[in-house]
Amino acid sequence: MKGAILWAQPLLLILAAPLITGCVKKLKAVLQNRQGAGVFQPYRDLLKNLQKEEVVSETASWIFRLIPYVAFSATAAACCLIPVVLAGSALDFAGDLIALVYLLALPRFFMALGGLDAGSAFGGMGSSREMMIASTAEPAFLMVLFTAAVQTGTTRAGPIAAVLAQSGWGAFGPGAALAFAALFLVALAECGRLPVDNPATHLELTMVHEAMILEHSGRSLALLEWASQIKLALFLTLLADLFVPWGMAMSADLASLGLGLLVLALKLLVLILALALVETSTAKLRLFRVPDFLGAAFVLALLGLLSQGVLKLGL
Amino acid sequence: MAERRFDDSCAELSVRERARLASLIATDDRKKNNTFGLHCVFSLPRKKTYETLTTQIAAEQPRYPSLTPRLPSAHAFEREIFEFFGIEPVGHPDLRGLLLHEDWPRGVHPLRKDFSQGTKPERTQGEIFRFQKVEGEGVFEIPVGPVHAGIIEPGHFRFSVAGEPIINLEIRLGYVHKGIEKLAEGRDPLQAVDLAERISGDAAFAHSLAFSQAVEQVALVPPPPRAQSLRVIFAELERLYNHLGDIAGIATDVGFSFGAAQMLLLRERVLQSNQRLVGHRLLRGVNIPGGIRREPQGGALQGLNDFLSWLELEYVCVERLYRDTDSLMDRVEGAGILARQVAEDLGGVGPSVRASGVDEDLRRDHPYGLYNELKFAVPVLDEGDVAARMLVKMAEFKQSLALIRQVLATLPDGPCSIPVKIIPGSGMGWAESSRGEILHWLRIDSDGRIERLKVKSPSFSNWPLLPWAVKDNIVPDFPLINKSFNLSYSGNDR
Repeated sequence: MKGAILWAQPLLLILAAPLITGCVKKLKAVLQNRQGAGVFQPYRDLLKNLQKEEVVSETASWIFRLIPYVAFSATAAACCLIPVVLAGSALDFAGDLIALVYLLALPRFFMALGGLDAGSAFGGMGSSREMMIASTAEPAFLMVLFTAAVQTGTTRAGPIAAVLAQSGWGAFGPGAALAFAALFLVALAECGRLPVDNPATHLELTMVHEAMILEHSGRSLALLEWASQIKLALFLTLLADLFVPWGMAMSADLASLGLGLLVLALKLLVLILALALVETSTAKLRLFRVPDFLGAAFVLALLGLLSQGVLKLGL
Repeated sequence: MAERRFDDSCAELSVRERARLASLIATDDRKKNNTFGLHCVFSLPRKKTYETLTTQIAAEQPRYPSLTPRLPSAHAFEREIFEFFGIEPVGHPDLRGLLLHEDWPRGVHPLRKDFSQGTKPERTQGEIFRFQKVEGEGVFEIPVGPVHAGIIEPGHFRFSVAGEPIINLEIRLGYVHKGIEKLAEGRDPLQAVDLAERISGDAAFAHSLAFSQAVEQVALVPPPPRAQSLRVIFAELERLYNHLGDIAGIATDVGFSFGAAQMLLLRERVLQSNQRLVGHRLLRGVNIPGGIRREPQGGALQGLNDFLSWLELEYVCVERLYRDTDSLMDRVEGAGILARQVAEDLGGVGPSVRASGVDEDLRRDHPYGLYNELKFAVPVLDEGDVAARMLVKMAEFKQSLALIRQVLATLPDGPCSIPVKIIPGSGMGWAESSRGEILHWLRIDSDGRIERLKVKSPSFSNWPLLPWAVKDNIVPDFPLINKSFNLSYSGNDR
């Protein structure tokens, strides 16, 4: 039973990811006094793109065709490393949070290659910008994960969530609060959201993530978009897992699973609202200010780590 | 003693009077006296007049010393004349095609009289257009357009960049050339307003106003007072909705969607108010030589007063939102600085250059219609960045509201238009559109038909400014800088 639930968790995340993106879009529309498309629109878009014919640039190599599959499967595999409803993950034995960071870096590497491979000017610009952002986002991301690891004594996501959930509200100390803020900033950068990247823009010259996937179409595009939706869902879940895991199911019985699901939905909703508010009320940063932004995330995470260390060691 | 050279007189006038080259017009007079005419229109803001210098060029060897080396603002005009009339400006640094592309046969000049309307020359495989080349280590080119991802007009932008900073930008337009000047030839001037309205969709009223005033000047018929008043109201309404759209566009381009949505909402309300007033959101079909064709119905003008009060209240809140949003102001301040010297040398017009310290507004400096009797300020800033262009438009928005109120308070009764009897002659009409100076130069032949219509849109004057404003900025800031000018492709290409 527990094993089945553990494997069902990533599946839930993958299938619900478009809904989460749909909710963000809907909320943003409402906040702008617009009606907006329904929350299930991303599913329709995915279905549409899956059925469409694919056009591939003549200059593209086999790598270009491979990218959507790499991106989708690596992101899906990353979902198996974190707890969702139940405190535990399917691949807890195989990889920890460090592996998660690299599973997320893999698609980025390939997408950056793809941006160059297709031979359009925009792709190359997207790739170079994505790499600049990634190189500053990753250290901050790792720092955040270490904060949680220092607190609980493990780098595996399942046990971290379990330990925190059982240790009561006191676990959300100043260190955790700082790391939470840092991870939120990192999530904005990693998922290509405002103020780092504008997922809704039509301006090729300002794009980052969208520029890299500009040459993909049809099924490839569907997989890439789905992968980025999963990534957003994954980051929001990770924010809930590592810092506010209370309410998560500890055993695989129906009652606690139901409660866990409900609590997760609520937490995600709050995070989605926060995301929509940030995206509606701020303008995009000037590109060269992005490292400052992520530098701030890094410093927050570092402070979190230090204060966590001080508490832990009782200095 | 030999006659003074035309380029000397032009350069001398421009220096002596600090005159700005407003338009350069070629005419095909070969039937009359076997020459081409070249008319150089200068704006003399100090004397509040336009002055035209004219020369004749022998038809056998149509060439003259180029004005561009001493008047850089003549650059695009001379390229266009070379292309459309085959008159060669000797000494011009760059005579590549401007509006007609490779597939147009060389040596076919569509604005000459022996090129009859409706001629469809064979497509040719001409020489490939050579963009300016910047060489150096790490310099590469980014081609953008002519088809863009958004629903905007076509234009090709060729960037030379070193990493993100832009070293050089070259803009190639002409994709929406419609031959409006040629289409106007042979038409009854009273029937040609619709052409003027289609030069640039969001400046339909300003173009029709400039055109109508040109016809009225030839026919020596001043429109009745009520029409004069209504024209001010409509012209300012057009400025209102355009400025709202421009400011919203800046917010959109930096991803500040809340601010953009609020501004666009107000713009939509103005358009709806236009619809109620005259039955067209973009004020088409309103102007006619001699006055106003469609008078606002019954209580519509009273309703306009209430609407403006509401609009002002709402607008002030949204403007405060923009000024208080640090992330927005951080993006616009210091981006895309246009130096005053560049703006003056290249003959820029409108709010875009008023944000760079160039204090010129046709409504005050070349008053037309009722503007002489109205009180308004001309906002000018010196910074020249995106923020300044946005703030100038914000200030102009409030001036326009005040202008409409003044006119509404003293709106005279009487007829809205008077019949115009067309007589041969030439004249010029102008209007300050939301982008700046529109100039229509008109010549009517002995049959009462249009012999030549030359349209100078503000975008034609301002496109050459853009490469200077984006220089040394980074590529992802280009759309924002471009939006702060918000130039019309259609207006440039005609």
